[in-house]
Amino acid sequence: MTTTRTASADADPTTELPASARRRAGRSPADPRPVVGWLFIAPNLLGVLAFTFIPLVSVILLSFTHWDLVSGFGGIEFVGIDNFVAVVKDPSFWNGLWLTILYAGVAVPLTLAVGLALALALNRDLPGRGLLRAAFFVPYIVNIVAIGMTWQMLLDPSAGLVNQFLGTLGMQDLPQWFASSRWALPALILVTVWAQAGYANLIYLSALQDAPAQLYEAAQIDGAGRWRTFRTITWPSLLPTTIFLLVTLFVGISQTFGMIALITNGGPGDSTTTLSFYMYQTSFQFYRFGYASAVGLVTFLGIFAVMLVMWRAQRGRSLNG
Amino acid sequence: MQSRPAPPPRPPRPRPAEPALTRRGLMGLAGASAAALGATTLSGCGGAGASTDPDTLQVWSGLPPESGPQSLIDRFQEAHPDIPVRYTRYVNDDRGNLKVNTALQGGVDIDVFFTFGIANLAMRGGTDIAADLGDRVRATPELAGLLDPDEPMALMDGDTITALATTRAPNFILFNDTLREEAGVELPSSWTWQEYLEVIDALSGEEGRHGSYTLPDMPRIAIGPDYRLTAEGDSNFSHPAFLEHFATSAQLIRDGVLYPWSQALARQVEVYQQNNFVAGDFTSWVTAPFSLRFLNDQEAYPHDFRVSAAPMPTVEDQDWNTGEYGAFIQVNAKSKKQEWAWEFCKFWLLEGARDMLKAGYMSIISDVEEDEILEGLLGEGAEEFFDVESFRHTIFDGPPKLHMDTDLTAYSEISLKYEQQRDVCWLLERSPENAIRTVDRNTQALVDRFAEE
Repeated sequence: MTTTRTASADADPTTELPASARRRAGRSPADPRPVVGWLFIAPNLLGVLAFTFIPLVSVILLSFTHWDLVSGFGGIEFVGIDNFVAVVKDPSFWNGLWLTILYAGVAVPLTLAVGLALALALNRDLPGRGLLRAAFFVPYIVNIVAIGMTWQMLLDPSAGLVNQFLGTLGMQDLPQWFASSRWALPALILVTVWAQAGYANLIYLSALQDAPAQLYEAAQIDGAGRWRTFRTITWPSLLPTTIFLLVTLFVGISQTFGMIALITNGGPGDSTTTLSFYMYQTSFQFYRFGYASAVGLVTFLGIFAVMLVMWRAQRGRSLNG
Repeated sequence: MQSRPAPPPRPPRPRPAEPALTRRGLMGLAGASAAALGATTLSGCGGAGASTDPDTLQVWSGLPPESGPQSLIDRFQEAHPDIPVRYTRYVNDDRGNLKVNTALQGGVDIDVFFTFGIANLAMRGGTDIAADLGDRVRATPELAGLLDPDEPMALMDGDTITALATTRAPNFILFNDTLREEAGVELPSSWTWQEYLEVIDALSGEEGRHGSYTLPDMPRIAIGPDYRLTAEGDSNFSHPAFLEHFATSAQLIRDGVLYPWSQALARQVEVYQQNNFVAGDFTSWVTAPFSLRFLNDQEAYPHDFRVSAAPMPTVEDQDWNTGEYGAFIQVNAKSKKQEWAWEFCKFWLLEGARDMLKAGYMSIISDVEEDEILEGLLGEGAEEFFDVESFRHTIFDGPPKLHMDTDLTAYSEISLKYEQQRDVCWLLERSPENAIRTVDRNTQALVDRFAEE
């Protein structure tokens, strides 16, 4: 983009003013562009205000109160930091935190690994490549209810196709999947990876196609093998994409609610009651909105801290510097 | 032709101030828009059909109108043509109840509303949302029975009464008669806990058939109302009945006498038990009158066996029924139509029994004859699919001792903690001792945290 400057502009006395004053003074009174600009972004701005900013501020304020919703706004009682003290003492919170870390901590790397493997495979000149790319992306856009019901049937302990298949291999003591407090979280991770890998695959594919071709040519001339090429060229060039996926998937997966509500309802026991589901329970089942807000705020700060660490860890490590 | 001189040019109009959006203006606009959006959203939460007509009594309930409420309202309109009634049905699940709560606190025009289940009553009961009906109830002699301190059927706090139970739902044990007769088991008319266990053992058979889906809630039979908390308000889960219940259930699941809990969870049988009973997966079924509507619906639940009923077994001479008083009627404290609302409540309580039979609801106050109640519950042609006399004995003889919990401290939380441990115990993943100990510890922690509320 280029900017045209005129001699008169250089002589404009307003250039001596601060930037904000310059902007005001430089705007023609008849110029409708500012209003039009605001009007263009107004719908989105209003959406952000109504559905992000106001709820965010509300959650922060509510986290210092007791509120059961049913009593109306008159029933809001300021309790200082009581909710945060209760969060620290609450074993269910710590259990939820541990399960969230476990769930996201396993599901995200697995999703990245599967997505990358698919992308590397589908980046080659395969017959029906376009169809395969579309097929692997489909789970990402399938409705969560359909995913939940399908996997519930597939992983039924006795009649499910997965256990029937494992049974034909002669395996004994088959996993009880969603009907076991030991297997429910691994099963949930399996479904999550299945549903999210298509997204990671798509992003990796686009990054692979932007990888510097001249480096691959140089590597080929120097006689580098596949593994060395991947390790020294492909992987470093994918690092920014990996960090992007790591952050977005970690944020998204650690907030998973629909799948848990639909398939396990937080159980058996509390084996899949992650923090997001615990927030739902405390707010919409127990009607303790102040406490749920405190849990939400602590969760947000935790995820934000993890994100910061990830961003800082990747700085300066990509191929492009 | 002489041309007219051109008019002098008009002086330029003063240009209005630049219409640029200032920061303050923007925030004002955003605030107003957000308020408008919020108001729209809240009124949307009120649900379709919500009206603000001041001349109409607004009634909200979880029952489909065709299952009884509509005919009750039609009769109310005949008796009170000056009080138009509009009935709104909400779905009685978490989301439906959230909708009702949002509507109530958001000022949606609701005059009379129903609360189903003690957990929901616990949540609405401790607020100012329901009007105090104490004086009105005490001034109505026909309702005196609801206020028996030994067997309360209303939510009371001193003289304040905010909810009145409208129905009684005794639990009973149903049998698939074909399978029961095949097993050579006589239909019991009264029995002890031990006799009950022997019967379901005999009823379990080959081909994956189980004696029962679950056991009756044995601690409730033994302890009665408020069984989860002691008289002092502490956790009561150290009572031996709870451990025995968990341990016996786990053992019978292991033995195949009870339906496997892993399948119950995997297939969400808990909410569709009728399907498995009709399919013959278990021979006996602990349930309540509302389930009879499935069994008299041959189109949706076709089956070729007769169903008989037996009362709940007794536990060491204690004979509390696991069923409870329910479907609580309440008046919105903000309603401007308190007199109309109370007239409607009285009509429902005193004269609605016949209408509500269609929904499987047995009213607390009823002048309906036994035969008519049985016909209402079991449907037309009952003799073909039900052992009617066994139902008559089970429902009316005694009659069953129902309960209503009144200590509602952390009710929903304690229920969840109990169910979580029940699940892992019945999945045979945790010992009954550990499971009950965990429930006891969690409950006491909840009591310590929330008792003051």
